[in-house]
Amino acid sequence: MNDPAAIRELVIVGRDAPAWLAACVMQEALGASGLRVTVVELAPAVDTADVYATLPALESLHARLRIDETRLIADTRGTFTLGRRFVDATGTSAPFFHAFGSTGARIDGAEFLPHWIKARHLGLPVAFEDFCITATAARYGRLLLPDADIERHGFTDYGYHLPAIPYGEWLKRLALRRGVAVHHARDVGVTRTNAGIAGLELDGGRRVTGDFFIDASGESSLLLGRALGVARDSWRESFPVDRVLFAHGAPFATPPIHGEVRAGESGWLALHASQVCTHVLHAYSSDIPLDAALENAARLAGLELHDAQMRTRDPGRRVLAWQDNCVGLGDAACVFDPLHGLDLQAVQLGLVHLLPLFPVTADYAIERDEYNKNVRSAFERSRDFQVAHYALNRYRGDFWARARLAPVSAELLRKIGSFRARGETVHYEDESFTIADWQSLLIGHGVIPESWDPAVDRTPPERLTEEMRRILAFIRQKVETQRPHADYLRAVPGGSHHGR
Amino acid sequence: MLQSSPLHIVIVGGGSAGWMCAAAAAQVLHPARYRITLIESEEIGTVGVGEATLPALRDFNELLKIDEAQFMRETQGTFKLGIEFRDWDLPGGHYLHPFGSFGQLWGGTEFQHHWMRARQHGLEPAPFEEYCCAVAACRRNAFEFPDLKNPHSTFYGYAYHFDAGLYADFLRRWASARGVRRIEGMVVDVALHAESGDITGLTLKSGQKLDGDFFVDCSGFRSLLLGDKLGSAWEDWTHWLPCDRAWAVPCERSDDFTPFTRSIAKPGGWIWRIPLQHRTGNGHVFSTRFIGEDEARAALMGQLDGRALAEPKLLRFRAGRRAQAWKRNCVGIGLAAGFLEPLESTSLFLIQKGIQDMLRLLPSPEVRRADQRLADEFNRLSDQLYERIRDFLILHYVANRRHGEPLWDHVRGHAMPDSLRHKLALFRARGHVPYFKDGFFSRDSWLAVLFGQGLMPEHYDRLADAVPLPLLDQRLRELHARVAAHAARMQSHAAVISRHCGEPAPIRQAAS
Repeated sequence: MNDPAAIRELVIVGRDAPAWLAACVMQEALGASGLRVTVVELAPAVDTADVYATLPALESLHARLRIDETRLIADTRGTFTLGRRFVDATGTSAPFFHAFGSTGARIDGAEFLPHWIKARHLGLPVAFEDFCITATAARYGRLLLPDADIERHGFTDYGYHLPAIPYGEWLKRLALRRGVAVHHARDVGVTRTNAGIAGLELDGGRRVTGDFFIDASGESSLLLGRALGVARDSWRESFPVDRVLFAHGAPFATPPIHGEVRAGESGWLALHASQVCTHVLHAYSSDIPLDAALENAARLAGLELHDAQMRTRDPGRRVLAWQDNCVGLGDAACVFDPLHGLDLQAVQLGLVHLLPLFPVTADYAIERDEYNKNVRSAFERSRDFQVAHYALNRYRGDFWARARLAPVSAELLRKIGSFRARGETVHYEDESFTIADWQSLLIGHGVIPESWDPAVDRTPPERLTEEMRRILAFIRQKVETQRPHADYLRAVPGGSHHGR
Repeated sequence: MLQSSPLHIVIVGGGSAGWMCAAAAAQVLHPARYRITLIESEEIGTVGVGEATLPALRDFNELLKIDEAQFMRETQGTFKLGIEFRDWDLPGGHYLHPFGSFGQLWGGTEFQHHWMRARQHGLEPAPFEEYCCAVAACRRNAFEFPDLKNPHSTFYGYAYHFDAGLYADFLRRWASARGVRRIEGMVVDVALHAESGDITGLTLKSGQKLDGDFFVDCSGFRSLLLGDKLGSAWEDWTHWLPCDRAWAVPCERSDDFTPFTRSIAKPGGWIWRIPLQHRTGNGHVFSTRFIGEDEARAALMGQLDGRALAEPKLLRFRAGRRAQAWKRNCVGIGLAAGFLEPLESTSLFLIQKGIQDMLRLLPSPEVRRADQRLADEFNRLSDQLYERIRDFLILHYVANRRHGEPLWDHVRGHAMPDSLRHKLALFRARGHVPYFKDGFFSRDSWLAVLFGQGLMPEHYDRLADAVPLPLLDQRLRELHARVAAHAARMQSHAAVISRHCGEPAPIRQAAS
């Protein structure tokens, strides 16, 4: 028999959206099995400038929580996003779009990519992303609602830009409504036993005990790192960024439906629109003084920046995300490079792996091993996606030259090699990024495959040209009939869903 | 424009592997860019007693745009919904591994957890297998084509039993009509390039010489090119899978016309039974460490449920694989690359998957030389598939309670691969079966065998507690009734075969 009494009290120590997302999910999924969820809330670490630019997967976690998306966007004054545009402000390479959707459509039953590679070799000069309906919709500022035709064509998805403060507060209200208990603390002391954590001491006074603990305290990793002493596997060598400036600027009159990342000679800058403001993030290396970084940020943004603040960034992974009776979530377990906004994705990965392995008795060594194995591989594959961006860059400047020399994992090397050879994407278990994501990234950075799947040679060149024209026409026609992004942002809170 | 001369692909060996390869290549590749030659020898016979397959074979036939009814008529094919394992856990026990799912996801949580919870809370659910439509159909020797849009009860797929020799003949005609050149002959010499070590050509017994750009080794266990000539090392797995021989014999068809393969555990191995339209294929897979050849032969002949139609043939094999299935400009397909006993009907699947990956990664006529980066990816995919199938096969052996029988004591006591031990521990603890993106074997397949072999988890996933018990009880009853009703209205396998693809004459009665 299960022994729910063995793990009845779950204590989450943390702050902001990661802690409250965890609380909502654990309460929703395991409340019925007798789990009681308490959050020890630490002082917020996010500011007006912070935004979660999420991956499409978040929608399914929200659906599990029965979150009304229209209402969430209206309440938090967030926006939708169809992906990111990567622009080279150093002037050496063409921009590219990493869209949350596939590119092209099957031709004569075969994948699109090999047809495109062959067309290029035959001298047809059409950019890969022009065949991406999601990227095209983004360029035209329209949200894409798939109908049957579009679903046959390929897949398309979206994420959100959620301002961090209102999103965290929104989740907190939801958690409290659903029965999560909360304590506030500025400082947390930990009482240890041989089996892990026995309890917490809040601000040197009140005690909170628990059977199981989630550390969502962020980079400081109060429980997993500091109290339990789990070591870090540093990814410092793989990433040139160790400083990040956060600031905000005036909102766009019409918020674009995508993020934008601009590469400058000494770092990069990301712009993410919400309805509140334009969230600006400048990532650079500490060999640039703060004053110069601020100037670079303002120049790259082309905006007047407010409330700029600098934070350090030290990417790496705790070698065990689950130690004893404590699981680290998000930054507490793994700090990513800021490039693709993976903070919330790290939280989601942790939760999704934890749910089906959550202890059913006091003995859970096997669950812990399985969790640590899967989460490690999920984190490392996401890291590789980020490393690829740096390792393959063709931008000008010392920052980027150094980035090109960063160590690359054997898995990533293999992936780049087989893509360069044939356009074949090696796709491992536990990848957060789809094959379509990898195609956009690799082609965007100029990895043009040297050959193609020979199956597409069955399609004669004239037919190939005709089919490619047909795809472009289909995309144009479909995108023209979509409603502008702004229409979805004007929706009345509590009003109709938009049907996804 | 692309104007390179066609790349010449030489396939060494006929049989299922060779002709599946030739047919797929002829269908997928452009004749102006790839030229295909197959060398086979009539001196080397094929076995042709009956082959059981996996549902993926339907994709292969679809790729070739083969008409199902015609294919089944020409290969004496029948339908297969799964495999019945008898006596594997304990003598007298039996279970089915179906090509279908058990139950449904409720609240996003897998069915086995709901079922185990129902048991633990005294709801007395029906046996696990009764929540699977494919199993219910097998129990009634019934068949119906699955309706994917409206599954009526639970999802299932189907595969075939057929005569592998007839299948190879069928594909030989098919491929020859589409430009594959067939050369009769025995390969006696293989020439390598002095610097690169690539294969440049072959010499046949007749003295004929044949040049090629890319070579596919379908020579079976001899592995003439990949093993013998290029020295891709053999990785032995017989410590996990000790069976090394099989006797195979056809017998007359009986009344028991099952839409499933049967596998019966024996003291020194196991016996297969594959129903075809015109006869039944039988075989005894055994380990010479534990039983003699003569004794194994007698056990097989004593088991037949119809008159034997030929003398039994002895096959020799070893479980294992080549360290590199693709080396230089040569790919091994089928036995030339590795062997896993036919316990889960994976032989043709391994061939099919190898062919599909190979065709996608072939050298281009512009470059001509095989690309190491692509060979590496082929080998990664191949290794992963072999290891996953291997673990699944070992599971059948290690989870047995046939105490006192040397073979079964040996496999139960032997150290298993770490990957399998971990999976078993997770299942025993809480019914958890890890998910693979590539989905092979699927979670439902693992569940069928884990439960079938008598394992029962101690606990279930707490996520299942989200469904109130009275609702769970109601859902289980409804689903159980729906599965039973669905199977009850299916026609018999024999009737479907005779209507779909059978001989015009009435079904022959069994010889008594």
